[in-house]
Amino acid sequence: MTEALRLPAEKIHAAELEALKADDKERRPPGWALSPRAAVTYLMGGKAANGMPISAKYVGDKRLIETAVATLATDRALLLLGVPGTAKSWVSEHLAAAVSGDSTMVIQCTAGTDENQVRYGWNYAQLLAHGPSRQALVPTPLFRAMEAGKLCRLEELTRMGSDVQDTLITVLSEKMMPIPELNESVYAVRGFNVIATANNRDKGVNELSSALKRRFNVVVLPLPDDMEQEIAIVTKRVGEMAQSLDLPAPKNVSEEVARVVAIFRELRGGATMDGKITLKTPSGTLSTAEAIAVMIGGLSQAAFFNGGKLSAEGLAPNMIGAIVKDPVQDKVVLEEYLETVLKKRPDYADYYHMLSDLT
Amino acid sequence: MASEIRIFGIRHHGPGSARRLVEALDELRPSMVLIEGPSDASDLLPMLADPAMVPPAALLTYAADDPTRSIFWPFATYSPEYQAACWAVRSGATARFIDLPASWRLAPPPSEESAETEAEATDGAPEAEPDAEVQMLERDPVGVLAKAGGYEDGESWWRDIIEENPKPGPVFAAITEAMTALREASTPVQGKEAAREAHMRLEIAKAAKETEGAIAVVCGAWHVPALRAKVSTTADRALLKGAPRQKIMATWAPWTSPRLAFASGYGAGVAAPGWCAHLWVAPRHEIATRWLARIAGALRDEGHLVSTASVIEAERLAVSIAALRGRPAPGFEELREAAIACLCFGESLVWQTIAQHLLIGGEVGRIPDNVPLAPLLEDLQREQKRVRLKPEALDRELAIDLRSESGVDRSTLLHRLTLLGVPWGKLADAGRSRGTFRERWVLRWEPEFAVRLVENLVYGPTIAQAAAGRISAEFDKASDLKALANLVFSALTARLPDAVERGIALIEQRAAQTSDCLELLAALPPLADTVRYGQARPTDADQLAFLLTRILVQGALALPYAARGLDQGAAATMRGVILSADGAVTLAEIGGDEQKAWRQALRALIEDTQVAPLIAGASARLLYEAEELSPDDAAMLLGRALSPGRAVADAAGFFEGFFEGGGERLIHDRGLRDAVDRWMQSLDEQHFTEHLPLFRRAFSNLDRMQRRRLLDALFGRASAGLPGRTLAPNVEEIWPRHLERLTAILTAGPANE
Repeated sequence: MTEALRLPAEKIHAAELEALKADDKERRPPGWALSPRAAVTYLMGGKAANGMPISAKYVGDKRLIETAVATLATDRALLLLGVPGTAKSWVSEHLAAAVSGDSTMVIQCTAGTDENQVRYGWNYAQLLAHGPSRQALVPTPLFRAMEAGKLCRLEELTRMGSDVQDTLITVLSEKMMPIPELNESVYAVRGFNVIATANNRDKGVNELSSALKRRFNVVVLPLPDDMEQEIAIVTKRVGEMAQSLDLPAPKNVSEEVARVVAIFRELRGGATMDGKITLKTPSGTLSTAEAIAVMIGGLSQAAFFNGGKLSAEGLAPNMIGAIVKDPVQDKVVLEEYLETVLKKRPDYADYYHMLSDLT
Repeated sequence: MASEIRIFGIRHHGPGSARRLVEALDELRPSMVLIEGPSDASDLLPMLADPAMVPPAALLTYAADDPTRSIFWPFATYSPEYQAACWAVRSGATARFIDLPASWRLAPPPSEESAETEAEATDGAPEAEPDAEVQMLERDPVGVLAKAGGYEDGESWWRDIIEENPKPGPVFAAITEAMTALREASTPVQGKEAAREAHMRLEIAKAAKETEGAIAVVCGAWHVPALRAKVSTTADRALLKGAPRQKIMATWAPWTSPRLAFASGYGAGVAAPGWCAHLWVAPRHEIATRWLARIAGALRDEGHLVSTASVIEAERLAVSIAALRGRPAPGFEELREAAIACLCFGESLVWQTIAQHLLIGGEVGRIPDNVPLAPLLEDLQREQKRVRLKPEALDRELAIDLRSESGVDRSTLLHRLTLLGVPWGKLADAGRSRGTFRERWVLRWEPEFAVRLVENLVYGPTIAQAAAGRISAEFDKASDLKALANLVFSALTARLPDAVERGIALIEQRAAQTSDCLELLAALPPLADTVRYGQARPTDADQLAFLLTRILVQGALALPYAARGLDQGAAATMRGVILSADGAVTLAEIGGDEQKAWRQALRALIEDTQVAPLIAGASARLLYEAEELSPDDAAMLLGRALSPGRAVADAAGFFEGFFEGGGERLIHDRGLRDAVDRWMQSLDEQHFTEHLPLFRRAFSNLDRMQRRRLLDALFGRASAGLPGRTLAPNVEEIWPRHLERLTAILTAGPANE
């Protein structure tokens, strides 16, 4: 037993990786732990050669994962784009686990990330005592991945300042990193590559420069397209979170989840479920994660203010908060949706009234 | 010694098999080429190889007595059948169609058999394909095998699996083998399919007797095993007993590449004609490179930045995805995914913006001048006879009563011809007859109409089908709601229910996407007309009425935002749109919540200070006329809007908005009149002079009687205005003389002095 709250993917799924590796007869690109096809099986689920079932890590379009793995097999870097809550980091972690057997070389990019955290830093005691030398140099995950021929993960690439992002250009195109202080360079060992994730909803945070952008192959991870699947995800996550927050879950949670998810999906998808009426979409994401947040908000309101009763009354303000991000534009979108769609649905009457009272 | 018979199983519209077929024919050099196609249209076959014939073109056969029963056999440049015909003409071999004669398919279905899919084949839509009644497997077995192998694109499968063989002969041997296995596993063919194959066998046998040289048979891969089977001639003859008698006509018609696409409803079509054409044109080892280069070109045309280096990366990614999937070369899907990842930066939406053009293409075929082009003209003659209208070169008036069956028929024909760009009849009172049961036409036939009509053959073989096809093409071009609404109206008057339905769907889509209030409101008048029209004629206008109210609600919601901060010109446009939209609301008799929403929007305009006064004035009048605003409220509003505290230009704008076209209000409405009166008197001289043109405009549409009544009302005994002054009793006589004198003074100018 371990004390850690959560282990890296390659430890959790060590048995699956072992089983896939054991009977992997296909050609492996240099430095890879698995062949590309076995890596796709690891992510999408299936069966290992010895009959061991492999759990699905990603539920969605197989072709996306194939493109991602094929990209890593060329010398191009991979950029996973998607709105928040579409399993970008999850996929990147498992890709690293499958391809290099090591998903721990991560740089979390933030506005405070500087070049020293991307390339290399210095141990100043050593630097002062002995002058610049390899001993005084503190390698970053990127540095170590290059030396070891493994995958380096960059989380939320666009959160990092553009000037810092651009230090990646040489690394990605020439597969080397100069250390001018020592008049040396690190050359990437075969097997090295970069997986970056970024959020494509927050435009203009630190937009990738086009020089950097074209060094990536981009795979966009979409929101789930199956309603039942999404309802199941929301219900499950709401249950888990309610438990950890000590919120009692009323009986009608799943009904309300279905209705909230239905409204979110219609607004997000720009059409009603029956496909008969096209709609405008609001500027916010309305991802699965937002639906979860709305439900949790409603639950907490129900528990503390509503005598434990979960109803449209408690959920509507949360929904407005999620839908109306732009006070003018989104309000029109919502009004239009209420008047043209929701008004005509008797089973949504309570939502219609609560939402129109609030807009 | 009987001649050698070689059967080549091909894939309809498959560039891969077309290329292999040409190679195989070059090797075999047959003296006769037999092609799957209606045997009674064989004499038209050599025309296919005419240099003036530019595919896509379709062989069109139709029942001589009823062109609505028609069948098309489209051919593209990359269709193996087309290549076979061209090869035959080039090499001096005899080319012949061997399939069941078209007369079989075009005969009216016997009554006891009508439950079969026969009915579908005879209703004349492009779906009425030679293979309409067979399942997908029979239609495109290669495609089915490819799907089973995880390929989306049958051509990539063909190339990966079948064409691994370097020699053309073995390619067809492999196909035969695969098909034999497939057919053994499925149920034996019956009915028409069996008859077709029997007919082909008999034709092959007949051909074998006629020639000494080799014979090449080009047919769908599915039929190969059946054509090779040894079946006695008598058994085949028995299957063909009872051939229906039907006189048919055949000709060539230009075709378009979008209509080769499966998505257009053509059953034997291909998913992406553009891709097929590319496969046919591009050299084999450059297919991926050239395709990606075309994608890059299309993206650049759309304004995206695509570097050559990215194209190189895309090709490398495509190769590596293909390797991952265990395919020898990147096919359609690999190239698409690579293009999305490398060239579109992962955005499949970007891909979709270029996909339509790239995959479907927009080629239109051409046919030689010597091809008989009769069907549309024949159909016109038949229709003229049916509705009893003769073409005459001189103007002739025609009043149509739409309540009678024959009236509707006549009106429909004239409307359809108008749609086809053949204005035989012109509506004499266009636009005013929409709510009534009467239409007045002026008929006049011009000789060039025949030519114009024939040009529409590309849309369909009969007037009804051509009109539907043409309006559908117009739908694709229409960009705003108003144009769409007008098209729907045309489709409704021409009685094209499918087109109406499609148009409604398009309007709905567009209405949801647009947030342009002007566009929404501008669509209301034609829509209201259409709804009204639908009520006067036997149509189902429910959905339109629903749409109308929906667009109204949308427009009403958007209006308060859209009307803010407009300059003078924009405000005038907006006012015009608001007025006509309100007219539409009245015309379509919209009540209830929707009407309320509209009026609320108008009310919001009055109360909003950021709205141009001109618009606010117009809205106030509309509400006042609708009795939503009581006279007292209106007077108060006017008083407020025209009060001295407001800028004079604003007040004048409001005045103009309120009264333009509505001056007679003042005659009857004392409260209103008083408010106006007070405002006018409060103006100082300079401002009054400035506003004179405005006042003149507002009152210009009053006739003499009305003007007089207004003056009466202002100065008469009953009036409270201007006490102590009365109008001279003989003012009507005096005024013209005054005016004359004034005019003389004004026009004479300084010369008189």
